[in-house]
Amino acid sequence: MLDNLGTSLKDAVKRLAGKTVIDRAAVDELVRDLQRALLSADVNVKLVMQLSQAIKQRALEEEPPKGMGVREHVLRIVYQELVRLMGKPGEVTLEPQTILMAGLQGSGKTTTTAKLARYFQRKGLRVGVICADTFRPGAYEQLKTLCDRISVPCYGDPKEPDALKIVREGLPKFRKLYEVIIIDTQGRHALEENLIEEIININEISHADHRWLVIDAALGQQASEQARRFHEAIGIDGVLVTKMDGTAKGGGALSAVAETQSGIVFIGSGETIEDLERFDPDGFISRLLGMGDLKALVERAEEAVSAEDLDVNAILKGRFTLRDMYKQLEALNKMGPLKQIMSMLPLGGMQIPDEAYDITSTKMQRYKVIMDSMTPSELDDPSIIGGSRVQRIARGAGVAPEDVRDLIKYYKIMQRALKGMRGMSGGRFNMQRMLKKFGGPSR
Amino acid sequence: MFDSLKKKLQNIKTKFTSRIEEVAGPEPAAIEQPALPEAAKPVQPPAQSSPEPTAPAESVPEEKREEPTLFNRLKVLVREREVLIQEKDIEEPLLELEMTLLENDVALPVTDEIITRMRTDLVGRHRKIGSSIDGLVVSTLRSALCGVLGEGLDLCTYIREHERPVKILFTGVNGTGKTTTVAKVGHYLQKNGFSVVIGAGDTFRAGAIEQIRTHADRLGIKTIQHQDGADPSAVLFDAVQYAKAHNIDVVLADTAGRFHNRANLMNQLGKIRRVMKPDLVVYVDEAVAGNDAVIRADEFNKTVGTDAVVLTKADMDPKGGAAISIAHTVGKPILFLGTGQGYDDIMPFNPSVVVDELLGGEA
Repeated sequence: MLDNLGTSLKDAVKRLAGKTVIDRAAVDELVRDLQRALLSADVNVKLVMQLSQAIKQRALEEEPPKGMGVREHVLRIVYQELVRLMGKPGEVTLEPQTILMAGLQGSGKTTTTAKLARYFQRKGLRVGVICADTFRPGAYEQLKTLCDRISVPCYGDPKEPDALKIVREGLPKFRKLYEVIIIDTQGRHALEENLIEEIININEISHADHRWLVIDAALGQQASEQARRFHEAIGIDGVLVTKMDGTAKGGGALSAVAETQSGIVFIGSGETIEDLERFDPDGFISRLLGMGDLKALVERAEEAVSAEDLDVNAILKGRFTLRDMYKQLEALNKMGPLKQIMSMLPLGGMQIPDEAYDITSTKMQRYKVIMDSMTPSELDDPSIIGGSRVQRIARGAGVAPEDVRDLIKYYKIMQRALKGMRGMSGGRFNMQRMLKKFGGPSR
Repeated sequence: MFDSLKKKLQNIKTKFTSRIEEVAGPEPAAIEQPALPEAAKPVQPPAQSSPEPTAPAESVPEEKREEPTLFNRLKVLVREREVLIQEKDIEEPLLELEMTLLENDVALPVTDEIITRMRTDLVGRHRKIGSSIDGLVVSTLRSALCGVLGEGLDLCTYIREHERPVKILFTGVNGTGKTTTVAKVGHYLQKNGFSVVIGAGDTFRAGAIEQIRTHADRLGIKTIQHQDGADPSAVLFDAVQYAKAHNIDVVLADTAGRFHNRANLMNQLGKIRRVMKPDLVVYVDEAVAGNDAVIRADEFNKTVGTDAVVLTKADMDPKGGAAISIAHTVGKPILFLGTGQGYDDIMPFNPSVVVDELLGGEA
């Protein structure tokens, strides 16, 4: 199901790539697919609607910058808007501080508290943890066990029912001894007023520097509401997304970020104490959309490969030489894996044989080395390469003769594919565009 | 839970109705006028009159008994002049329904299915002049929701009908509330006169054994436990043996939370299943979960099977769309809703009651 979503989004992008002018229907379609992708990633419905409105408006109104294709233009807008929605990654300073953890039941506060302790410990700070969860049985044992494993002291008393008292007594003791103090609290939700009251009080007496909200990656549309209430109560200044090692996309965290005007600080992605990562917006966006690295795609597309790199006209006349292939490989090298690039190109219904894709970057590198050992006349007219030339080229390039033959075979496949394209219906103009695209986005 | 969804659904229901009425309203009158100019007037407000009592469930008013009133005779005259509900007539309310469901955490694929069902059910349907549109819309929506929520399951009846000890295995991802649910279910069964033993099968998470034992001690339920890191299958096997030896009615088996994309942990669950041979595998998830609820419910169902579902944290969420999503995906009944922190905060789930409530108790 997820793959389908990614695919449909990719299809929408692909359709856009064929366009010369921005066309409303194509943008609509892209926006609709984007909406679906975001909604199934649990992003708040209202946020999705705002976002897609903004994208649609900008895509239709803004002129693409000179030399930028329609697809690149729209992709860039999509990316920029998503980044804006995401906010800046929350800041983490490596100095003495008190952090108060808040969140719903079962969102992973205790585990994350231990992971955070480990993070600061590894950064060379002295860390102490206070267990203010006096409600859930086993909460203290859990935190204590986790902390013992990393030799971090844990203050708490499973028999004391008053969380405030624990904080009031533990905090001064720990402040004298440790630099970073993390207070784990009981899980609560926004509708439990006495518990919200409690965390307000804990926040007051602890004078916490940070109040971080722990959000389960699977949390759905409730995220907004919960985050809003927590924010009203104690002023959330960072969001931690947990359980990102499952299949959940974490869209709820975005809602929380939007509500609290804060940023995502960390991402929990596993069951061991080391599984805590700093937040990376690009990776997060990719995951949300179920599609490759959007930023890299945008950047790659922006990186111009000049048209002279590829003699389109010569190829159109049916002359596709090894020299062209060399340039092509070079251009593609800058762009990333062949298949990924191809999937972005407006080749529509055309079938590129699978073997043509079947070329890894190491292979590509080897092909280039082999071609470096060829004479200009061989590059211009590969048909003159016979057995003895193969031997010579192989020796020159330091490869086996089979590799040289492999290259020639690959060349022939590409040549055939291009011939197929020539024969395709559609105006000459389109063909030219297509071939330009084939060599990389040209201006 | 469900409150906001309910309110929204009410709105949409009216929307559907008025949309369909709108199309239905003027059309028949216009057609009839040239044919029967003198009789046109009484026919005019066909939509307002809903002569038929709203039919329960599926029996959409398609065939109706005609009474020989003037009104109906006229209708016979213009026979087959029925209103055909067209796709464009209901497009807007359908879109709104879709948004409502999504906003209420009904997962995308499930929403799609409900919408498609509504559409195919409504479009092309001949609506005879004068038949109740409200009834049509409600019954369609009702059957769509009922189809998705499925039948309920009464745990007490189940236990009475099966050989003791009845073994119940609780599964689910991390942090959904399995341990708390085990305690609550234990308490619920005790109240209903069954004896219970709990197997502390979460040997992985720090403090989990402590947690379940504390719960059990408070409730006066015997816990079978090994130490941290022990093989959960062995613990639960022992729990079953204990129940057999002591003539205990029900074994509740807690397990560690695990993600459905961890093959090893899922295999471990498979082993537990083989060793303790549970009568019921109960999948626990939270009512606040979003789209992922569908994916993981599906994975759990595929790898270890699921016989029933418990939805926890229902008190957090006035929406409850996850219930619809999960029930639909797994196709298994929802057993309980967890509605709070106390041991009594657990509520048997009855789908038809919920649907009735969603649609305002009528129909």
